[in-house]
Amino acid sequence: MSDEKIRLNTDWLCDCGGCHVALVDLHEKILQVLDSVEIQHCPVLTDVKDYPPARIGILTGSVRTEHDRHAALVMREKCEIIIAFGTCAVYGGLHGAGLAHSREEIMEHVYRRSPTTKTDTIPDAEVSELAKMVTPIDEVIDVDLYLPGCPPHPHFIFESLASLIEGREPRVTQDSVCGRCKRQMIKGDAREIRNTLDEVPDERFCFLSQGHICLGSATLDRCLAPCPNHGIACTGCAGPTMQILTEPYLDIRTEVSDRMARLTAIDEDIIKTYMEKTAKTQYAYAMATKMIGNKPTFLIKKWIADVEGQINE
Amino acid sequence: MIHMKIRDAACRGCRFCVDICPTDALSFDEATQKAVVETVEDCIGCLSCGFICPSGAIRHEGHHVVKNFYRNLYFSRRMEKFL
Ligand code: SF4
Ligand code: SF4
Ligand code: SF4
Ligand code: SF4
Ligand code: SF4
Repeated sequence: MSDEKIRLNTDWLCDCGGCHVALVDLHEKILQVLDSVEIQHCPVLTDVKDYPPARIGILTGSVRTEHDRHAALVMREKCEIIIAFGTCAVYGGLHGAGLAHSREEIMEHVYRRSPTTKTDTIPDAEVSELAKMVTPIDEVIDVDLYLPGCPPHPHFIFESLASLIEGREPRVTQDSVCGRCKRQMIKGDAREIRNTLDEVPDERFCFLSQGHICLGSATLDRCLAPCPNHGIACTGCAGPTMQILTEPYLDIRTEVSDRMARLTAIDEDIIKTYMEKTAKTQYAYAMATKMIGNKPTFLIKKWIADVEGQINE
Repeated sequence: MIHMKIRDAACRGCRFCVDICPTDALSFDEATQKAVVETVEDCIGCLSCGFICPSGAIRHEGHHVVKNFYRNLYFSRRMEKFL
């Protein structure tokens, strides 16, 4: 490797900012990265407003405004390798769940009916207009690498950057969150689906065994499983496993309901129906991408319509 | 010759693999509460255990790879790019 530093740009599209914070969260390891990388455009670390040419470009977030689209296109032009960084960039992420509502509903809720503020005007200057739909980055520009995670744990960020810098394959596994969870999957006798308002599940045993929905087995581990190891079921924020993405008839709800039915006395169809009724939650992080949207098993519009039809009746 | 490995650290002890294997190639160690490869010679490489394993703890090598008729092409084109 030559002594010349690898130039890096990052930019922040429609997202929560967490992924950029996660980059800074490399702590002392960031010094190791800085040995070989020169950070140029990076909203949380530098005041560089333009986009200098770079070898690596990290994009977080999805495309929802003109600003996002413009930034994505310029980054593509200026960077040799574009990494879609974080679940928003890879699958549309939580922001992609905006698909479940119309733009008008979102604007109304945020600016007119927000329960926590008193504003009553929808802004029409300064902020760029909300596009009709959320668009995952890779429908706007070509993406070279994908790093899911909401945000990805620094362990994976460091490994990804280090492998790129050193020109080698990243040493990561395709394990699901269960692979790092410390709970034991035992066969339990739960007869109905429960939630944490009903009871605090025993921390020694798998949530599924106790009748609680946990998406760990359907979720790629890019987080080191903090949630199930600290008393909270996995909500799938890193997006689905490779198995779900490659197999057309495996899906988040089919995988979880099959396993949960084997671990409890609850019928698989009951679990599957429950997950369809709560689809906005179960698919919150990955509903905007065609990687999920093109699956023959993914009928989100029907599931939402079924529930909302019932509410309106 | 098929090789199989179950990574203990990732095994959650659910026994799904033991229950689903059509040839009883796997067994369960009650002391450690982990699945173990009992007779790899019996494995027919159906990969049922790998698919049902919740954590991705089971790896096979040297098995005959069957080409799928249908895959999600949109994802498959991107698959090699995942970090
Ligand atoms: S992936 Fe998660 S942490 Fe990263 S920007 Fe999106 S919502 Fe925030
Ligand atoms: S389903 Fe959830 S609780 Fe059970 S082993 Fe997997 S991550 Fe842990
Ligand atoms: S919700 Fe699941 S994928 Fe997200 S950080 Fe928690 S354990 Fe990881
Ligand atoms: S691949 Fe099939 S035959 Fe081989 S151990 Fe797994 S389930 Fe049994
Ligand atoms: S299916 Fe996976 S997690 Fe379950 S016992 Fe077998 S190896 Fe362990």
